Amino acid sequence: MDDLLTERLAELAVGFGANVQADQIVMVIAELGREPLARAVAAAAYRAGARYVDVTYTDAFVRRAKIEHAGDEAIGYAPPWHVERMKQMGEQRVAVISLEAALDPAATDGLDPVRLGADQSPVRQAYLRLVMERLINWCIIACPTPEWAARVHPDLPVDQAYELLSQEIARVCRLDEDDPVAAWQTRFDRLTEISERLARHRFDAIHFSGDGTDLTVGLLPSGEWACATFTTAEGIPHHPNLPTEEVFTTPDPRRTEGVVRSTKPLNVEGTLVTGLTVRFEGGRAVAIDADGGAELLRGRASRDDGASMLGELALVDGEGRIGALDTVFYSTLIDENAASHIALGSGLGHLIKEERDKHQVNSSSIHIDFMIGSPEIDVDGVNDDGTYVPVLRGGEWQI
Amino acid sequence: MADLTIDERRRRLARLLVGFGANVQPGQTVMVGGDIDDRELVRAVASECYLAGARFVELNYFDLHLKRARIEFGGDDSIGYATTWSYDQARAAAAEKWAIISLSGGTDPSVLAGLDPDRLGRDNSPVNTEWLKAVSEQLVNWTVGPSPSPVWAAVVHPDLEPDAALELLWSEVERVCRLDEDDPVASWEQRMGDMVATAGRINDHRFDSLHFQGPGTDLEVGLLPSSRFISGGSKTADGIPHRPNVPSEEAFTTPDPTRVNGEVRATRPLDVGGTVLRGLRVRFEDGRAVAIDADQGAEVLRARTAIDDGGVRLGEVALVDGESRIGQLGTVFYETLLDENAACHIALGQGFDYCVSGEDVGRINASQIHIDFMIGDDDVDVTGVTGGGDRVPVLRGGAWQV
Repeated sequence: MDDLLTERLAELAVGFGANVQADQIVMVIAELGREPLARAVAAAAYRAGARYVDVTYTDAFVRRAKIEHAGDEAIGYAPPWHVERMKQMGEQRVAVISLEAALDPAATDGLDPVRLGADQSPVRQAYLRLVMERLINWCIIACPTPEWAARVHPDLPVDQAYELLSQEIARVCRLDEDDPVAAWQTRFDRLTEISERLARHRFDAIHFSGDGTDLTVGLLPSGEWACATFTTAEGIPHHPNLPTEEVFTTPDPRRTEGVVRSTKPLNVEGTLVTGLTVRFEGGRAVAIDADGGAELLRGRASRDDGASMLGELALVDGEGRIGALDTVFYSTLIDENAASHIALGSGLGHLIKEERDKHQVNSSSIHIDFMIGSPEIDVDGVNDDGTYVPVLRGGEWQI
Repeated sequence: MADLTIDERRRRLARLLVGFGANVQPGQTVMVGGDIDDRELVRAVASECYLAGARFVELNYFDLHLKRARIEFGGDDSIGYATTWSYDQARAAAAEKWAIISLSGGTDPSVLAGLDPDRLGRDNSPVNTEWLKAVSEQLVNWTVGPSPSPVWAAVVHPDLEPDAALELLWSEVERVCRLDEDDPVASWEQRMGDMVATAGRINDHRFDSLHFQGPGTDLEVGLLPSSRFISGGSKTADGIPHRPNVPSEEAFTTPDPTRVNGEVRATRPLDVGGTVLRGLRVRFEDGRAVAIDADQGAEVLRARTAIDDGGVRLGEVALVDGESRIGQLGTVFYETLLDENAACHIALGQGFDYCVSGEDVGRINASQIHIDFMIGDDDVDVTGVTGGGDRVPVLRGGAWQV
């Protein structure tokens, strides 16, 4: 990605994604190898009037060293000030920009999946609280890297693979438009319209069928549908995922029934879960099977009481730019927007209107999305009386 | 060392820093800091920390380009700003008694080129005071060690091809860290033992001041009655021995910040936050640096020292003899860790309270900064002056006279 595209991507993350406000503190979270975009984001944030940009570089190879060499007491541990930092970030209403890319597989290959699965620090939970309580304006944005490109386009020389991935990301982030923000605004207007129509139907459940999938996901009576445009509790609008193409809700965690087959590989912190099949009974994932990586996901799904139940249900149409590329990005941020998906773990409480339903929303320290939609999968809304209303057929809205 | 793979060479250096330098204890949190160009060594150090039983390795990667973005585009409030949680981090380090390993290497001077020197000088994190406090109260076992990187190699050996420059820098770092010895730790124990004995003899003289004389230098540095020269290792308040600098060839103390007089000329270039100062000359009156001049980069040091009252006063004076492997190499590393161990030096800013005792603890210099610069050379004589006015040669031609 050349300097100009990097700068345009950074401007999109700062101005439209997180919508950084004058005098805000901006936290940037970037794995090593993503420093060109991290630096461009820092510069763009200062230009937008940020008070201070705090870039945290993470290093998956240091994490690898821990999983390989550390004692058991080190697994899942983080110094208490890390949790305190999250609290202060909420109190101070900071902006958070995370740079997303697939990890270098060398950082995780061959690691003990049990230790890897158990190494989840309490900081994650503290961060999810900031999101749930809408204290921060945040954005996760795709960041092309050579390591990621090699994963996505393994048949190309790495520089060509990187160039292609950069173009694809520019395309799905609408940077090829003269005015990317205006293009995004048009798309968000359409997604907002669809989510309002879905809400008006007040479906009792959504049913997915086809290609090995027969899954009913129950909805909560006062659940709303939304697209990825958020507003903080204090009224700062922001766009938490770039790119995004989904409309989503938080389901009733107790009423998921049936079998679902994932339609794309799932990347769990660098480990690939392929050929995933999950069977739900009474809301719980009672059987998790896969061609590869099943143990890791089972480990995550047994982490706490809510980890085996659903926190999100999302629909993606065929108009999105990601599905049209037909590229597997090995990154949930992008891949989940190629297809309809569900997520194990924490739900989104702010999508529930009635206080009596709020306590039903799933609660967990994890949130793992996996893709279950494709043009071959039919999506129907189920009314209270059991009748079906077509919602998606061949990737096109029917409502 | 050239017959070892680069991974093995990194592992040897990492092991020296983790075991001998910081002396990481089982169950400790270890903060490992380094430039993002040092990532390979950071990873090797992290591995050795976990192998030594560390509970958590806290990464503190530094990226000079982010500083550039702040200086270039940040508002005035951004300069020298620190988040509330960065204070908490430093306080946690003190309260939980962390180990700290900092990797140090020359940085690419072009990254900060052309920026406003005044903003650069003021962009000093106020949290440094907390970190210096944790160090001076001996709550953390810490070390600073060198990290050879391509960027640093290009600064030190600009006339060589990149690969050759990096190889030469690696072999120089291994030489000065005594990694070319079969048993580097034993070699260090020997050298540090000699230095501790020398520091003891200097302390026995109970000098009232030190007098530096050489080309462009005529400087008297007053000592406090209890100023004690320290060399080699330190110990935390809990008794964990550690070596704050690897390599270290100095005997240092904290002087009387009110009794420094005369002129001093730096004998080597120094790097201040990415800016290289050359031909530095400083005049002191009654302890204060009243004139700071240089052939290049003086403004950055002037701005940096104006940050608080103690910024223009001395916190350290250190003696280095000609046996130093760093001095013997004759290489200018543009890196204080190595260059300060090539020659005698003084530091503007924060003093070390563990170098004094009793009521002198309240008299040492206090500041957010601590900037060392080299003032010694073979042609700079060092003479101790006793309270009675007797003059005792300490260093002549780089050789101890005590």
